[in-house]
Formats: sequence, structure tokens, C-alpha cells
Amino acid sequence: MEKISLQFDRIKEKMNFIKPNKKRDFLLLATLILALPYIINSQYLLRIVIMIGVYSILALSLGLVTGYAGQVSLGHAAFYAIGAYFSAVLSVNFGISFFITAPIAAIAAAICGLLLGLPTLRLSGTYLAITTLGFCEVVRMVLLNWEKVTNGPLGINRIPRPSLLGFDLTLANNGMYYLMVFFLVFTTVVMLAIVRSKIGRAMMAIREDELAATMMGIKTTTYKVIAFVVSAFFSGLAGAFYAHMIRFIDPNTFTFDTSIMILSIVILGGMGTIKGMFLGAAILVSFPEVLRFLQEYRFVVYGMVLVLMMRFRPQGILGGQKKTAYKLPKGVIVDINSNNSSIEVREAMNTVEEVI
Amino acid sequence: MKKTVALLLVVMLVTSMLAGCQSQASDKIKIAVVGPLTGDFAEYGTGFKNAVELQVEEWNRNGGVLGREIELVVFDDKNNGEEAATIAEKIVADKDIKAVIGHFASGVCMAASPTYQEAGIVNISPSASHPDFTKEGDFVFRNNTVINVEAEFAVDLAVNTLDKKKVGILSVKTDWGTGTAEITKGLVAQAEGMVVDHQEVVDGTIDFGPNITRLNEAGADVIIVVAMYNTLAPFATQYKTVNPDIELVGFSNAYSQQLIELAKENAENIHFPTIFFHGSTDETVASFVSAYESKYGSSPSSLTAQAYDSAGIVLKAIEVAGKADRKVMKEELYKMTYPGVTGETKFDQAGDAVKIFTAVKIENGRFVEVQ
Amino acid sequence: MILQQLINGLALGMVYALIAVGYSLVFGILRLVNFSHGSVYAFGAHIAMVFVGMQFGIIPALILSIIFTGVLGIAIDKIALAPLRAKKSKAIAALITTIGVSYIIQNLLMIVFGSQTKFFPKLFDYGNVHIGGVSISTTQLFIFGVSLALLLLLTFIIRKTKIGLAMRAVEQNPKAANLMGIDVDFVITFTFFLGGASAAIAGTLISGYYQVVYPTMGFLAGLKAFSAAVLGGIGILHGSIVGGLIVGVSESYAAAFLGGGYRDAVAFVILIIVLLVKPTGLFGKKGVVKV
Repeated sequence: MEKISLQFDRIKEKMNFIKPNKKRDFLLLATLILALPYIINSQYLLRIVIMIGVYSILALSLGLVTGYAGQVSLGHAAFYAIGAYFSAVLSVNFGISFFITAPIAAIAAAICGLLLGLPTLRLSGTYLAITTLGFCEVVRMVLLNWEKVTNGPLGINRIPRPSLLGFDLTLANNGMYYLMVFFLVFTTVVMLAIVRSKIGRAMMAIREDELAATMMGIKTTTYKVIAFVVSAFFSGLAGAFYAHMIRFIDPNTFTFDTSIMILSIVILGGMGTIKGMFLGAAILVSFPEVLRFLQEYRFVVYGMVLVLMMRFRPQGILGGQKKTAYKLPKGVIVDINSNNSSIEVREAMNTVEEVI
Repeated sequence: MKKTVALLLVVMLVTSMLAGCQSQASDKIKIAVVGPLTGDFAEYGTGFKNAVELQVEEWNRNGGVLGREIELVVFDDKNNGEEAATIAEKIVADKDIKAVIGHFASGVCMAASPTYQEAGIVNISPSASHPDFTKEGDFVFRNNTVINVEAEFAVDLAVNTLDKKKVGILSVKTDWGTGTAEITKGLVAQAEGMVVDHQEVVDGTIDFGPNITRLNEAGADVIIVVAMYNTLAPFATQYKTVNPDIELVGFSNAYSQQLIELAKENAENIHFPTIFFHGSTDETVASFVSAYESKYGSSPSSLTAQAYDSAGIVLKAIEVAGKADRKVMKEELYKMTYPGVTGETKFDQAGDAVKIFTAVKIENGRFVEVQ
Repeated sequence: MILQQLINGLALGMVYALIAVGYSLVFGILRLVNFSHGSVYAFGAHIAMVFVGMQFGIIPALILSIIFTGVLGIAIDKIALAPLRAKKSKAIAALITTIGVSYIIQNLLMIVFGSQTKFFPKLFDYGNVHIGGVSISTTQLFIFGVSLALLLLLTFIIRKTKIGLAMRAVEQNPKAANLMGIDVDFVITFTFFLGGASAAIAGTLISGYYQVVYPTMGFLAGLKAFSAAVLGGIGILHGSIVGGLIVGVSESYAAAFLGGGYRDAVAFVILIIVLLVKPTGLFGKKGVVKV
């Protein structure tokens, strides 16, 4: 399922010269993804796959902030919650269709991201992390206490299913699966577009060395805020999807644990990668299910996996493994012979990590 | 590229094999129990598991149900709605599982109950208190007290039995606490008492200094505490250092031996309405308490007893129905009256249990019945 | 009423301050947010409870708990964090490691002791003292006194002893400190021991105050203590105390006048406001970025 989005970047890259067998592989993959619900034929597994998709969206969005712009957020569940509640409240109280409330919810989350991001993103490191953590707790308290709108601790019940042309999308008819695939592909395409653009390169410059980036004339705060807002938007979208799938949300759905889960996916998969997010989500979401036989020990094992991962592969499973030569823009010719220290140039050319 | 496709194919094959494994038929009748076995609320989930295990063992010792052995399937949901919903899918996919006992918090129950309703499998929660929980559909039941009946009893204890008219309320900010506190307020006014102050705390609070100061300055003579034992015990301890004469009334959810162990002498004279009473002379209760204590080394709480009865109800329904069928047994549940350790249980049309309360209080470190 | 709530808040604030000191110590040396500190604190409380249960008496139980918890602190560093430093990993790797460690400790505590709330005997209880309509319990006074003593002791260690001098040197520049002949690894080990020991003291005192112990006790208290530490300027010891008191008092007033539901959020609201005005916390020094 997630491979379709991976395919998208291949397409973009190789649009000009798709070799016949590549094309065949792509078609095979696309078919597999579309046929997945019929192949696994189990609602239980399908729900896990959908949750992997939801967490992939969340990880992609946090990945932009943490993986690309280098800002650690410990409160991403806040935007997830805002999206979920916004969409749920609108559709339950006013009977608006999911396909209208979801974008509104995502925009609302993005606005909250802007409001939080503008003042706080000048903070750095630990201070930003604790601020986002605090923001997440504050959001949760508002959800718990603003009873008129959020229904307080009772939560919001019977959230309507997404309905397309009078046709209810459910887990049973695979509608939710295809909706998730759509959202995931959409998120992936936007993220790819961003990280491959000038904005993405500016973000990576900030991650690598904020001071140097400032010296190069990059408006660091602006780019950080952009990352934050885009990230909040997609987290909100994921939240809206989640609310309409589970059909019941309460403030306890979105806790610090959720934020840590998203951050762990980003780090496990590999910061600054796109496909790592899918892999990380697949591992960590299915983790508790796979380890069910361990019973009460499963979260001890979960903790150990985090510790061992950081010890032996802190860059994540897919992070920082490939180094490719930096492609110079067309028309720029570097005459290596004219440079006295040719070795240095070659080294410099080979240390730009492939970021996708 | 080829690698990824190959990998995906392998993953699919394995998962579809796993999915296939689940639907293997067996001649056992399976009952699922789901609750938090990890996380903050693990004690309650473990209580559910133990109680249901005990009930199933007793049935198996007597030859099972319909001559078939009963198998208990235990799942951990970490009191997390997301996991609960996934587990629900796993349960309904196993055709041998005839009923589900569980999910602890209302929010978690309600994330899972649509799946049970859709698949048509009986779900009895021994603890869900959300007023809308059983409205999900006809397969969703609760074997817990209905809060307005219980609140009426608690208010009666405070205003009439203890004869204190100035009532303070402390409630936890959960669906159960907030809802119950609202109902209690109305009932106090009807009973000619007066609510002098209402304080809310978030679940898990252990420092009640600010709340106690407020309640005390408002001149409360009795506090109705809508919370679990782990809130009531420290609250009682802290309140009695400020005002040793304060009277406390709790709810059956706080009825637990732990309460006395935590609050010691400060637990004296706390009154409760409860549907389950350790010291009852009733034979079924006495044998349940002694069996539970000898097997698990701790006393069953009110919620544990409700889980025990829930399992009994489910098995009885299968027996009466004469066949292990998810739908037929549901019909039986609405008809039957089950005599268990929490008194006689009968479900109304919504799927809520109608219960009879006993008043108990703590005296010399023991629960005794209020005369 | 307002005065009484202030007293309530100060007592609560000292509780946070006790935990916050541990965050501050480790952050001061390593620039690392030790997310496992909350669960280490719960561990300390459980160890003390075990020894109190074995009739050791409260003081020996406290000392044993300090030793065990201090050793746990060292073990966390040696097993999980030291290899990361050796590999010069990114700061975030260490952060995630401490989160992983806290999962491990918290869940092991649950498996060993069960998740239910357990009893802890009251420490130093001689009833209440009444001063002008305000009632203060002797336990509160005791906690206040011990916290201040602990702070003074730690300040003494850091300011006046040789190891303290080494700690300050490592804080400023580990590489240079190493060149001056300071055993940096030992200093870090010692700091983790101090962090663990302070967690044990906090755990024992706070459990004795509230008379309850449970495996997840360190989670929310840890987060609030962490924000108290940041509020005061993380890495600065007296900042932790002031931060803790501010958080405690504001929480007490919020619970009394805004309602209990807002109580947990108020610490974070204040934190965010303070950081926006003064990004390094109240007493924090502005770091110089060297290029």
C-alpha cells in the first residue's frame, strides 16, 4: 500500500525513461495495493493496515518538521486531536459531509500550527520540545473542559461515516481503505514536492546548521513556520480520518503516548526520509499486535527496541544509508583539474546524502 | 524495485495465512475477555481476567456448557480505544468466540462496541458507565450499576443515614464522574440537602489540598466522592488531617479492599452503596470470595465481581439457549434473570442491568452492612 | 483562603522542585533531557516501600533506596547513554533512549509490583500547626525543610567540593575539562548517581506525604517537574526550586478558582508564556553560540 507513494517519486524521477520492466513492476505494485483488501481478506488485518496508513500520514507530517527542518516536536498529537475534534464536531452538530469537514479540520489544525509556531519557533532544542509538549497538554485540557463544544470527558459519539454520493464508506466494504490510500498518496506527493523544492532544501540547511543557514540568507523562522503549518495540516487530516473511522473520540485518545509514538516512527524509519516513514509506521503500529503473545511484557520490549535502535542505528532503518554524488545544475562545469586539492572536491561531492 | 514487490508479496502471503489460521474450527466454546493488562489501569483488567477465569474454571469442572469445554481467550487493550477497536476486529473474525466480556473505560468500550454490534456478537462490559454505551445496539450490554439509581442511594446515605445536610461533592473528570456528579447535585436538592461546593479533579490526582480547602471553607459536613479507591483513599487521608469530623460517602466503584489498606484509620465510617458485599452471608458470594482469595491472593472488588457475574450470565445464556449461537444467546440475555454474586441481574430493553443496592460502611477496618 | 491556598501550593511546589532538581542536574552536565527521570523517581519510591515493608525503619529504607536508585541512574547511563556519547550521536537519539528506558522501568515496576495504588506510611506526622487561621501540617514543613537541605547540600557539592568543580568544568567544556585531567566519564557517572539519589529522596518523601505509591506516579509529576525545571532555567539548581514553587502555587490557585480540570494545564501555560518572554527560563544564562 505504502509502496504506491514510493512509486510516485520513482515516476517523477524516471518519467523520461521508464524502462519496460519498470513499468511492469509499477503496474504490478499498483494492482497489489488496490487488490490488497481482497488478498488479505480479514477486517482485523485491514484495520491494522489502515492504522499503519494513518500513522504514516502523521509520521510524514512530523517528518517534515523533525526530519527535514530539524525541530523536535513532542506534541504532535495536539494537531491530530484538533483535526479529529473539528471534523467530528462539525459533522455531528451540523450534519456536514466528511469530505467538507476534513479539509476544514485540516485547515483549522494548520491555523493552530501557525499560532503556535509563530511565537515558539524562535526557541531552540529542548525549549521548543517542552513547549510543544505543553501545548499538547493544554489542548487536551481544553478538550476535556470545553464541555459545550467538545462534550468534555464524555467524548463525541456516533460520528457519521464518510459518505460518497450516498454510499457509506465502511471497513467492511473497503471504502475506508481506499480513502486512506487516497489521503496517503496525497500527503506523500505534497511532502515530496516540498522536500524537493527550494523550501525543502532550505529546511535541510536549517537542520544541518541553523547558523550557517542564516548566514546564507535563509529566513530560518519563516521556513520553520512553513514546516510546522504544513505538518499541522496533514496531522489534522489524519485526525479527521481517524475520527470518522473509529466513530468515537474522547480526550484520552490523544495523549503524550501518541506524540511519542509518532516521533518514534520518524526516528525509527529514518529522519529525513520519506519511505522510512512507511516502514517505521508499519513496524511500530503492528508491533503491539505481533507481540501480543508477550502479554504484559510487550511494552518492556517496546522500550528495549527504542533503546537498542538508538544504540545501534540512531539514524533509523532507512536513514543516511545512501550517499550519492551531488548533481550540479545544468550548465555548471567544474574543472576538477584546475583545482589543486582534487581529493577534497571529490569528497565534498560524495558527502551529500541522498535525502529521499 | 523487484525486491520491494517480492517483499510485499511475501508479507501478504504470510498475513493471509495468519488470517486463515484464525478461522480454524474447534469443538470448544470460546469466550473472550478484554481489558487493560498493561498501562495505568492494568489492575482492573487483571481483575476482569481473574474473575472470568475463575467462572470458566467452575463451569468446566461441572462439565462445561452444552457438554463442550469452555476456552477463555484473553486480550490486552491497554485501555486504548485504537487498540480496542483493532482487537474487536480480531475477536469477531473468530467464529468460535461467542461473547465478549470487557473493555474497561467507557471511551474504550465505545470505540470497540460498533464492531461488536455490526458483527452481531454479545458484548457485556462490567464497568462501562457512559449513558450512551448501550445505545449502540441490541448486542451491547452493561453489567454495571446505572448511575442515577446508585446516586440516589448515595445521596440518601449522606442526607438521611448520616443526617448531614451540607453536602460537598468531589468528582473525577471522566465520563462517569462528571455525569454522576451532575445527577447527584439534583438529587441532593430533592432530598432537602444543600450542595455547598462541587470540586472536580482530573483522574490520577493525588494532591487534594486546594479542593479540601475550598470544600472545608464552604462548610461541608459530608462529601460525596465520585471516584475510584485510588482517589478516595488519599482524599480521605488528607481531609481528615484538616477536619477529622468530616463524613464521606463513596460509590460502588471505590468498593475495594485496597481502600482500607491505603487509608487505614481514615477510611473509618466511609459509607457506600454497593451491589457486591464481601461479608455477605449468601453462599454464592462467600464461596466466590474464598475461591478468589485462595487463587489470586487478593480480595475481589466490586468491578471484579461484576466481571465474574458477566461471565456467568453469558454461559448461562448459552446453556438456556441450547446452542452456542451468537444471536440466539442475545435473545436469551434479555429474557433471563441471573442470580449471581452481585445480586439478581436482569437486563432492561436498553441492555442495562437493573441492580439492587446494599449499604455498607467501613468499621474497625472492615466492610460491614449498614443497618 | 488565599493564604491557605498559597501554603497548599508551596507544599506541592516543593514536591515538584524535588523532582525537578534531578532533571536539572543531568541537563546541566550533558544538555540532555532525561525523560526516564520520572520513572526513576517511581522506582525510588517503590524500593523505599519494599524496605519499609520489611520493617527496616524509614531512615535505613531511605538510605537503601538512595543507593539502589543511584545505581539505577548509573546503570541507565552506562548501558544506554554512554555508548551514544561514544558514537557522538545526535541529541535526539539520547532523548528517545531515555523515553525507551522510562517505558522499560515503568512497565517492569507494573509487572513486579502490580499497577494498583499501594500504601506508604506517613513520614514525620505530628499533626497540624495553626498560624493565624492557616493550617500547615508538620509533614509539609518537614518536606519543605528536607528539600531546602537537599538543595543546599547539592549547591555545596557543586560550588565547594572538588568533584563539584569538575562538574562545572565538564558543563562548560567537556573536551577542555578532559585535557585538564578531569575524568569526564567519572563526573558523568557521579552526576547520574546524584540524579538517581535525588529521585529516591523525592520518591520517598512524596510517597510519605501522600501515603500512596504506584508505578505511573512519575509520569505527570515528571512532566510538570520538567516544565518547572525549564521554567526556572534548566541546569540551574535554585531555578528548579523557584520554578517548582511557581508551578505548585499556580496549580493550587488554578484548582481552587478555575476548577480542577484546568489544573494540569496551568503549569504548561505559564511555562509557554515565560519561555516566550525569556527563552532560557527565569534564571537561565544565554548561551553563546560559537562558530
